[in-house]
Order: sequence, then C-alpha cells, then structure tokens
Amino acid sequence: MSANYIPQPDLEFIAEIRGLGGETLKKCYQCATCSVACPIAPEGSPFPRKEMIAASWGLKDKLISNGDIWLCHNCGDCTDMCPRGAAPGDVLAAVRSAAITEYATPKSLAKAVNDPSKLPYLLGIPAAWFALLAIITMGFGGTMEKIFHFLFGDAFGGRLHWSHAHEGAEQVIAHANFVSTWFVDMTFVPLAIFATVVFFLALKRFIVDIHDNAVLEGKTDKTSLDYKALLMSIKNIIPMVMKHDKFTQCGSNKERATPHMMVLFAFIGLFIVTAVCGIMLYVGNYAGPYPQLNPIKWLANIAGVALVIGSGLMIKSRLTNKEQITTYKDWFILGIVFALGVSGMLAEMTRLAEIAWLSYFFYWIHLIAIFNLFAFLPYSKLAHIVYRTVAMGYADYANRK
Amino acid sequence: MDKKYGVYICTGCGIGDTLDMEALTGIPEEEGVNCTTHPFLCSKEGVELIQKDIDEGKVNTMVIGACSRRVNFDVFNFSGCIIERVNLREGVVWPHSRETYPALTEDQKDDGEHFDQIQMQAEDYIKMGMIRVEKVNLPKPYHTQSFSKKVLVIGSGVTGMSAALDVAKAGYEVTIVEKEASIGGYAAKLRNQTPVQLPFETLQAPVADALIQEVEGNTNIDVRTNSLVARIAGQPGEFTVTIKKPGEKSPFDVPFPLPPEELVDENGKELDPEAAHEKYLKYNEGREDILSLDPDGELYGAVILAAGWRPDVLKGDAYAHLAVDNPNVITNDEFEMIAAKGKILRPSDGKPAKNVIFIQSAGKDEDDSDFEYTGAVTSMVALKQARYVREDYADGKAYIIYQHMKTPGLQEYFYKAMQQDDGIFMTKGAVTDVTPMSTELMVTAQHTLLGESLALKADLVVVASGMIPATKDNPVINLAYRQGPGFRDNDIFGQYADSNYICFPYETQRTGIYAAGAVRRAMTIEESMEDATGAALKAIQCIESANRGMSVHPRSGDLTYPEFFFQRCTQCKRCTVECPFGALDDDAKGTPKANPTRCRRCGTCMGACPERIISFADYTIDSIGSQVKAISVPSEDDYDEPPLRFLALVCENDAYPAFDMVGMNRVDYSPDVRIIPVRCLGSVNTIWIKDALAQGIDGVILIGCKHGDDYQCHFVKGSELAEVRVKKIGDALASLALEEERVAFVEVAIDEYDKLPQIVNDFVEEVDALGPNPFKGF
Repeated sequence: MSANYIPQPDLEFIAEIRGLGGETLKKCYQCATCSVACPIAPEGSPFPRKEMIAASWGLKDKLISNGDIWLCHNCGDCTDMCPRGAAPGDVLAAVRSAAITEYATPKSLAKAVNDPSKLPYLLGIPAAWFALLAIITMGFGGTMEKIFHFLFGDAFGGRLHWSHAHEGAEQVIAHANFVSTWFVDMTFVPLAIFATVVFFLALKRFIVDIHDNAVLEGKTDKTSLDYKALLMSIKNIIPMVMKHDKFTQCGSNKERATPHMMVLFAFIGLFIVTAVCGIMLYVGNYAGPYPQLNPIKWLANIAGVALVIGSGLMIKSRLTNKEQITTYKDWFILGIVFALGVSGMLAEMTRLAEIAWLSYFFYWIHLIAIFNLFAFLPYSKLAHIVYRTVAMGYADYANRK
Repeated sequence: MDKKYGVYICTGCGIGDTLDMEALTGIPEEEGVNCTTHPFLCSKEGVELIQKDIDEGKVNTMVIGACSRRVNFDVFNFSGCIIERVNLREGVVWPHSRETYPALTEDQKDDGEHFDQIQMQAEDYIKMGMIRVEKVNLPKPYHTQSFSKKVLVIGSGVTGMSAALDVAKAGYEVTIVEKEASIGGYAAKLRNQTPVQLPFETLQAPVADALIQEVEGNTNIDVRTNSLVARIAGQPGEFTVTIKKPGEKSPFDVPFPLPPEELVDENGKELDPEAAHEKYLKYNEGREDILSLDPDGELYGAVILAAGWRPDVLKGDAYAHLAVDNPNVITNDEFEMIAAKGKILRPSDGKPAKNVIFIQSAGKDEDDSDFEYTGAVTSMVALKQARYVREDYADGKAYIIYQHMKTPGLQEYFYKAMQQDDGIFMTKGAVTDVTPMSTELMVTAQHTLLGESLALKADLVVVASGMIPATKDNPVINLAYRQGPGFRDNDIFGQYADSNYICFPYETQRTGIYAAGAVRRAMTIEESMEDATGAALKAIQCIESANRGMSVHPRSGDLTYPEFFFQRCTQCKRCTVECPFGALDDDAKGTPKANPTRCRRCGTCMGACPERIISFADYTIDSIGSQVKAISVPSEDDYDEPPLRFLALVCENDAYPAFDMVGMNRVDYSPDVRIIPVRCLGSVNTIWIKDALAQGIDGVILIGCKHGDDYQCHFVKGSELAEVRVKKIGDALASLALEEERVAFVEVAIDEYDKLPQIVNDFVEEVDALGPNPFKGF
C-alpha cells in the first residue's frame, strides 16, 4: 500500500479550467468510457478517466505535472462517446493550456497571451517597434551606414555593410529597404534565444515533474531519470511525430491530421529557408529577394502555400465543428499562423506585382505575426510542439504502454 | 335457489375436431341434463343462445365446456347464475394432440385394451364441472352491523398529511393521530429538501409548511395531536379505535398474546384453552381482552399507517473506526438540525465547518453496504447537505465518499446539478478510518476513484445514518387481534411494515391497514407523498368493498366469506393461529370468531380445519372432494393395462395460469392428470388427498407458489402451510401401506410454465415406477 494521497482541491484551478474551455469538467461520473474509447491511451493506467476526476476535484498537482495530458492528441473520440457530455478531450485541452501557463516564465506574460483583453498590446507593441525600424531604415539609411561603418570599420575584410540591398537596389523592391535585415535579425535572434531560454527553464521543471508523477502513479518502471536516454527516446519518436501516427489512430477528428501535417511541414520548410537565407546573407553575402527560379524560393513558396492552406483548413474545421470547444487560445494561435502565411504570400505577390507600398505593408504585418509567434511560443498553444514531443519521448523512455 | 342445470360445449378452437362430441354430450344427457354444443360459443350468437335459456327460465346453473376460465370471463358472465368453466381448450385439446394420442378406430373401441386418454380427460372434466355446480351456492354478501367510512391516519408527517388530504379530497372524513404536540413530522424541521418537481435541480423549501396549512384548513380532516392509538379493534368498516394521550394508561391499551413458552404448564404439556385464556388475562392485567369493545371508541372504516421513522443512532464497536464519539463526527440528522438553525458550525467549538466529509458506507473494506435503513435516501440527503456547505461558505468544500450513489428516477438531475458545484467532490471508496487530529479530523479511504488510498482533512464528518421504521420499535397499530397487536413476519422485511412491496405495495398483512411512506421503506419526501396517495386509494377501496360485502385484495370483488359449522368445532384454534391475516379471533373457550371484512378469502382456515367445518359459498370441502370423486379411476376390470390417474391441486394464482400457458404453447404433458384449481394451496384440506388415494388415484401433486423469505404466495403463508401439511400426511399414508412419494409438493413461479410439463411427467414416471395404487377398484 502506497502512502496516503492527500488531495488538495483548488477551487481557483477549477474555475481556470472552466475558463480555458473545460466548462464540462464537473459532468464526469467516472464510467471510464473515455479511457476505453481513447485509441492512443496506454493499456496500463489509461487516460483520460483519472484526469477527469482529478480535474473535477481541482487537483492541480495531479494534472499540471502529468505527462499523460500531453499524450492526448485531442481526437475527440472520448468526447463523442461520453454519456454525460463531459467532453474529456476539451477538458484535457484546457488543462494543457493551464500547464503551459504554469511552466512559463514570466507568468505575467503567459497570462497576457491567454487574455483577449491584452491582444491589442501583443499586436501593438511589435507593430510600433517595426514601424519605428521602418522609419529608421527608410529615412535614416545614410546615418545608419555611418554608424555602422564607425562601429565595424573594415572588419571581416570589408564585407559587412549596413545595406543588404542588391546592386541598384533603388530600382528593386526589397523588403530590406523597408526594414533593414539587420534590424529584423536583431529583433528575432534575441527573441528566439529568449524563447529557447524560457523553454529550457520550463523543461527543467517539466521533465522532473512528469517523471515524479509517473513514478508516483506507477506509470513507469524507471526509478531515476537518465537525461541521455530520454534524449535518445525523444529522437526515436521524431519519425512518429512526422508521420502523425497518433493522429491517424483517431476516429472522430481524423481529418485533422492532414492540415496539422501541412502546417508542421510548412514550418519545417520555412525554418530551412530562413536558415539557408541567413547563411547565404551573412556568409555568402548574397541578399534577397531571390529570383523565383532559385530552389530555395521553390521551397519557400511551397511551404508558404502549405501554411496558408493548412491553417485555413484548421480554422474552417474549428468553425464547422460544433462538438469541439474552441476558445481564445485556439483562435489566437490559428490567427497568428494564418496571418503569418497569408501576409508572407501577399508580401511576395505584391512585390512581384511591383506595388511597393502594399508589399511593404504586408511585410509589416508579416513581421508582427512572426514576432507574436516567436515571442509567445512558450506561452501559446503552440508550445505543445515542445511539451508534447518531450512527453511522448518520456513515455517512450518510461516504457509507458 | 332452485337449480336448473345446463351444459354448453363449444366445438371451436379445435375442441370439436379432437374430441368425440357425441360421447362428451352423452355425459350430461345421461344425467338428464340438457347439453348444447355451439361451434363458436363466445360469439354473439353463442352467448345469446345461453342468455335465451336463462331468460326462458330453463337454466341458472351451468357448465360451460370451452376455453380456460382465465379468458372470456367477461363474455360468459351471467349474473345470478352459478357458472363453472370447464377448460377443454387450454387444459385438454391444446396440450394434447391427436398426432401423439390417435383417436380410437371403431375396432379398438371397447376392446378392453385400447383407451383414448384425451377423451377420458375431457369426460372427467365435464363430470367434475357438473358435480361442482351441484355442490356450490351463490354467495350472499356479508354486511357488518355498523359501518363507518371514516379513515384513520396514524402519523402527521408528509406521508400522513398527504394521505389525509387525498382521502379528504375524495370526500371522506379523516382523523390524523399524532403523538407529538404539532403536526408536520420530520419534514417540518428541515432547512431545505431535495427537489420534488422538475427540473429537479435545486433545493427547495420544505413542502411541510404548505401541507400543514392545507390540512388545518380542510374541514374533512380532524387533527389529534398529543395522541396515540391505544388499540384498534374489530374489522374494516367497523374498526373501534381507542385514542389516548402519550403515557396515559388505559384499560383499552392493547393486550399482548402470551409468549409461546407461557402456553405450556410446568410439565411441558399444552394448556387447555380456558387455562390459557386465564393466564393470558393475568399476563395483561389492567387491559381488557381483545373482544371487549371500548364503548367510547370511535368507529373507522380503514387505517393508513404513516408512522414514519426515527433517525438511527450510530454507536458501538461497528462504528468505532468512524470515531462516532467525537463531537465533530455527527449523523446526517444532527447535521440537518445544525443547518436548520443557521450556518454550519462545528459542535465542538462553534467555528465554521468549511470542510465537511459525508460518509455513506460504514463497512470499511470488508462490506460495501450503506448504513442500515438508508435505501436511496441518504445519497440524496448527502447531496443536499453538501450543498448547504457551499451555500454557507464560498470557499467551502464538501466531500462525499460513497459506495453507492443512489439517485433513482429524475433525481438523477439533482445529482447532476450538485455535481456541477465546483466545491462538491465525490468519490467511490471504502472509508477505513476517521482519526481526530488537534483541530481537524483525518478521514482515510481506500479503493477510491483517485487512487488506492487517500486521506482527507475535515472540520466536520457526517455519517449517513438510516431511517428506522417506527414498526421496528413497537407495533404502532396496536391491533386488538388474537394473533397480536403488530404485523407478523416483519423480520423478513427488515422490520418495515409490508407484506410484499413488489407485488402488493401499501398492502400490509392486515386487511384494512395500509402502510405508506418511510414505515414501508426509506423514502424521500417526493416518494412518500406519492406513496401516501396509493395508500389513500387502497383505504377507500377497502371501505367501499367492505361496504358492498366484497373482498378487497387480492380476490377483489369476491362475495364469499368463510362460514363455520360451529356445532362440530373442537376449539383447536388452528384456524385462528394459521390465518395469515389474523382475520380470526377466538373467545375464552377457543371458539373462532370470524371477522369477514378482515378476511382475504384464501381458504387457509378451510385447509387447516381438521373437522372440515369451514366453507365458502362456492368453495367447500365437499365441492372439491366431490370433484375428486368424480374422476374416473379405471381398473383392471376395465382394461388389461389401465392408465394411471393423477390429481393435481393447482394454485389458481400463478400455477394455473402457467398451465394455461403450457396449453397455449401446445406443449404436451401426461393426459392422465386431472387438474383442480384451488384458491391457494393453503386451502387444500388433506382429506382431499386422502380421499383421492383411497379411491385408487395413483398420485397427488400440489403445485403452488414459492415460499420462504422471498415468497410469491398471494396469501403469504399458503404454500408454506401446504408443504407442512403434506409432510404430515406421510405417516397417514404409511399406515395405509402407501408410499410417501405418491404425494408431491412443487413450487413454480408464473413465468416457469416451460418447466411444468417436465415436473408433471417426472412425477407421473416416479409414481408409475411404484406401480398402481393398490386401492384401485375398491
């Protein structure tokens, strides 16, 4: 007999879950239909029955640090079959959202991301920032060139210049003429580092927590935590994530797999494009925009289109599926991703159509969207890319079957 | 009545095709009785044919050979006539086909070797029907000397008040007797009650107040507070009731019968009736005998028992692990009283009780049953009281640890609604321990939905104690009956006042006394009010039936009643003792006094009487005995190998319909069996069995309802008594050099018709192995 568990129901946590789309959490009467219905729950100690009672009792400790909530892919099979309308799928989605906030630092930022009333700030601050950078780039290019020269002189063999514009840039529409590439990278590189640090801090706690929880609830045969082996497990599950194996086991929301896959691969494609462009620019001194015949441009275009279609399909399915609850956190991230894709494509198209001011406008929108995606990655629903991957890796490591 | 006989035989439904109608109609004709056949007797023309004979004064006593008496009873219903229905269809031609029993060829007839078993059966049944109508009479209804249509309601809780209002609204006068100083009962003391109407989602103010006002404003209702029933004497329609103040001593306090050990002298010999009566009077000194009526008593027609319940007190070792002696471990009743006063405060220090744990089951890990006498009520009470905690404190938390969450019917909505409260937490689990800490209590539970073992801290622990029915503590009704003041056999109902709550709700084992509410089983207010209506209707039915001289239940409308030929009574008291309903009282000498309106007409007394002096107008020792004698018993004088003969005495309530179902399903069983339906196996007098065997019948089988704790006997004790009596005649058989196996006793349920042919055939085979009855041909 294990030691007595002392439940500490948290009324505020219950209210929080209700607010995050888990309004139905108290409807559960523990028949465990959901655990049977779930196509991806492991046989030993399956979810989401036990998560449902923990939620209705407001047992934050049992949920936030529970790796199982991340194994759920929100198929909706449990929600469909639930005889009481307790919608376990939506409750778990809400719990995940609460967990993201819980592990994020600073908390205030996490709360802001999930608070619709803060949206004007989330959009307004980057908008103003990039507007400022655009003014500097367009109005004070000469001054910047001087400052730049003063700072670096002829370092790196004189290969560094303020402007990354092509020869005869005055005739070409290049977004670097609107907001300097330096400025863009000076914004996003630190932002990426910031997000990584936030994730790193979160994962440090997260991994220990889910392991402790697994040991406590007898969900693993491992007693100590071997980070190296865990890392190997995470590597092992990557192909599975890529192929969306778990998604395709779903019954109710099977059709979600394709759009999700499109978005995931679009991001991977865009990541490669960005990386190649960066190397080309800073190492090869080859600045954009690239001609349409360039293979990198092909990849960029394909990924961009996939992103728009994928996220568009997701929005459509959320709008038509009345069964599944869609809350602000869902709309926020879908909106950002869709805006990011559409603004990128439009910026390119208007550039090719040689409508400079419109192209610059879309680029500005594009930058705001990227800023939101990057800066708020650890706080938004998109953080699941990290937590779910780690949790699935942990399940593999822990022999959770 | 000058009997004019007539026999009518229907040839439809395969009867005419299977049977030799000429031979069959020859039987009455031989007796000089006119026999008419019709191809479709239950048709308009067929019925008109009989009616014409009646109208012309040709017939008033008839045998109708057609279908079972359980069908077309409304068609063959001729008032003022004695009618016997001979079951040729379900009893003869349907279960026995000509494929199995071919008709005799002309050569085979009267060859001393061949016989037609189906024809023999049909002919016997016609003969048995004819002798029965000869022996029975039309009943004349019994009327009491005085009659009251007033209803007495014992108890003024929601059940009593609702029943009184229902009865009063139907136009009858009602008296409510309440031992407390005010009416309303427990419901009047509540803070709130569980919902009684759609949407069944919120607590509501107790309905008691509105009921009290309505009762007090109803001119048909007379309320007697501070009152008790000292005794109820007499019978339905003329109950003489003595009402007294609590604690008061009255000569009409009900006397108790002598305990069994007092009924014998110092040598262990049974006392004679007069000595026993003497001793009984001494035992009840200061109290009048049951037969002396209170001259100041009030007359009532029927009684509704709504005496309700009291909260159980949980004490002792069985509950030691729950720390029941701790002031902060209280019962749901004590919690309700605290809640009714105001905010929920701890008894120990008067501080707010914000964390409250409700424990529904006491059995640790060994037993998952709820506390005794809880039914489904305590589940709903716990939900309600959990809500009180939330009403009183925004940060309050109420935990319910249950083994069963019972929310019957639409109360499921109430459960769902309470479940929605953020601060109400529920889990199934076995509470193993309650440990007092410095200021709190620690409750541990195992096998919960949250894991193997958990511990919860609480300011207050509430245990779900049950509702002890008033009838557990004392008889309440105080009947001046020879069998005693209370209901018999309440122990098989856990001391609830009941006779069979599945088949006959409201009905107690005493005719005219109808139980309702928590005295019957743990009930919510909603259920109690509904139950009260049922009992009110039963009370009215009883009064109206008694007023017409009819039986109320279960032989509703029966006009017969037991009649005694007292000249031959030996005062053996068997009828008084064995009557399942206490209908008979005996006087100082032991002579029975019938109380016909208490009687349910089962005939158990008739079966018990060794002198065979008890009979009903249409059901007598002689009428059945003559039917038995009418069965032809072929011997070796008739055939080389004569067929055996069997008598089946079959209970008409369940076993006889089951036989009809066998017929409807065309399932074959031995055609050598002759079935006689009886009112109840309890009415079977062993003389019939002895006579049957003495005339050469090879075996007798009694088929009746199941008995025991989960009995199905419509008359509670009938089949049980029959089995005892059958066992006792074994000795008598041995003295006749007859095997005990020739008499069998079998129980069947109404849905076990598929087993009946096998039962009958097995018995036939067993007797066949013994060989023919040696008395054949005497």
